[in-house]
Amino acid sequence: MEGQWWAEFLSAVLRAATPLVFCALGVLVCERAGILNIGVEGSMLLGALAAVLAAVYSGNPWMGVVAALGVGMLGGMILALLTVYLPADQVATGIAFNLVCLGVTSFVYKLLVLGGVQLMAPALRAVRAPGGPVSLLDLATAVTPLTWIALLLVVLIWIFLFRTGPGLLWRSMGESARAAHAAGLDVHKVRTVAAVVGGLLSALGGAALTLGWVPTFTDNMTMGRGFIALAAVYFGRWHPGLALLACLLFGAGEALAFRAQALGAGLNPYYYLMLPYVVTLVAVGATGRAIGPRDAGKPYPRG
Amino acid sequence: MRNSIALKNAFITKILRTGWGSSATLAVLSMIVSLLALCLCSYFAGASPLQVMVALFEGALRGRYALTTTLSEWVAMTLCGLAVLIPYRAGFFNVGGQGQLEVGAVAAAAVALSLNAPRPLVIMLALAAAVAAGLLAVSVPLILRLRRGASEVTTTIMMNFACIQFMYAMVTGPLKDARSWYGTTPPVPQAYQLPSFPPGSGIPAGMWVAALIALAAAWLMNSTVFGLYLRAVGSNRPAAVAAGIPVNRVLTGAVLMGAALAGLAGGLQLLGYTFRVAEGWSKSWGLVGIPIALLGGNPLGVLVVGFLFAILETGARSMQALTGAPAALIYLFQGLPVIIYLGLRASAWYSRWSQAAG
Repeated sequence: MEGQWWAEFLSAVLRAATPLVFCALGVLVCERAGILNIGVEGSMLLGALAAVLAAVYSGNPWMGVVAALGVGMLGGMILALLTVYLPADQVATGIAFNLVCLGVTSFVYKLLVLGGVQLMAPALRAVRAPGGPVSLLDLATAVTPLTWIALLLVVLIWIFLFRTGPGLLWRSMGESARAAHAAGLDVHKVRTVAAVVGGLLSALGGAALTLGWVPTFTDNMTMGRGFIALAAVYFGRWHPGLALLACLLFGAGEALAFRAQALGAGLNPYYYLMLPYVVTLVAVGATGRAIGPRDAGKPYPRG
Repeated sequence: MRNSIALKNAFITKILRTGWGSSATLAVLSMIVSLLALCLCSYFAGASPLQVMVALFEGALRGRYALTTTLSEWVAMTLCGLAVLIPYRAGFFNVGGQGQLEVGAVAAAAVALSLNAPRPLVIMLALAAAVAAGLLAVSVPLILRLRRGASEVTTTIMMNFACIQFMYAMVTGPLKDARSWYGTTPPVPQAYQLPSFPPGSGIPAGMWVAALIALAAAWLMNSTVFGLYLRAVGSNRPAAVAAGIPVNRVLTGAVLMGAALAGLAGGLQLLGYTFRVAEGWSKSWGLVGIPIALLGGNPLGVLVVGFLFAILETGARSMQALTGAPAALIYLFQGLPVIIYLGLRASAWYSRWSQAAG
């Protein structure tokens, strides 16, 4: 019984953390190149909807993943056009982008389900259902492949950013776009790539939410998860590994909230949902200067 | 006759010279384009664009109930717009209006539901509690910005969600209405609700408060030393420091002012419009304040844009009921004009045009 509970709890944590990990990576990659990716929430919604629609109409959840990548790229390109090429204020653009995505996704979904029937997407299945005695292998097979992809991406992005030459140049954009420009780098090109990659990863997070967890779409179904990812990046000090830890912690908060009543702990479940934000704010307040990449959020004019 | 023409011309040149003439043009342009986009989308949804527009505006402006609703929405939209605008002038992007509004309403509810005193006193105390809660909610991001250099954008976003979850915890916990099956506070007793003013007219008293505050903000930002400092700090901080302006004090003042207004909006909406705080009780007023502030550009602009947004918010329901175009389209309208506006403003085309103009 105890073991069963833990196995279910841990796989729930991983399930809740997977979308966060994708989105956090999307935010991190962008911020390292100097773009404050507030549009992560909107890209996530786009990915969630595209994944559901493509999976329903093709019958194959992996087509959903591909579709999410497609719209994520599109969203990233739009954001890149606005915040890198024009360049407009990144925060304001991101917030407006989120509102537009909320409107577009709700609208498109309403158009396509005229009868009011919920579309149920074929979900990505875990190799086996959670349960039984606990071992690492059980846990590994009880989560969807997307979780593994997310963990792999954490490692790959860490290697890229901190162990390769191009990664160093990438990070230099975030610290000082002007210095990077003076060193002969094309700031706008790299930032465009960053915005598109950020869009891709955020949309993948949305796909992980729908295909790996709740296999349908509802209006505003991300409910601020993109912003939790943003908090995770802050908490993780713009480092992929630490951001992953933060995502797991926040995922645990969410999984606990669902189980709070079952646990019989007298605490209101909403306090668990408050946890990520409070923990992050306390961490920011308690530890030194919480300054990320110095040029993140500053548009770099063309000319 | 000639004199009045000269006066009119002087007025126009004055508007153009203050610089917001051209931004206002852009804002209007982007809102018109967005309305057209709204029509296009409703066309795809199988509704006639003309009918959609008629339903939208009739649903918001025709009849006493609709008008009262629109004006009540306007209260929150104006105050939340100002809550973004004033700190923004000083270089602080207050994304946390929503959270400040939520805790403001919770605080006002706690006061109005527990006190037993004369009406004006309870209303005053409830609104004061709302303002205090808003200030409390912004104090964390503000201190982190001043002491730790943490970007206020992310910290206010986090405070938003923390405040919203706190509101949920309150309405399902200590403040829960025992007779209700979902999370909500009991309604504010009739005796403590904000009356309409003039009495019986259906015009929410909050509207006068919001309008007066907007006028006061316009005066403060355009005709006082503080307003000058505000712009100096926001547009060129090092220069402001060099000029001996107490930069951090000005910033703190502006941020506290903004958060107080967002908290006040929560209190006013509770006492004058929704009467209870519940799960999903508020529209995203605090969030929508951001587009309103950006498009409005100054307190009077916020008043105007806020009214348009209030019309759309109220009209959306009748639009969905009458034409079948989903009410969710309104979110599209809330975001799209900002994107168009920012895009146009940032584009080379605009800078060339504004140079040629003036």
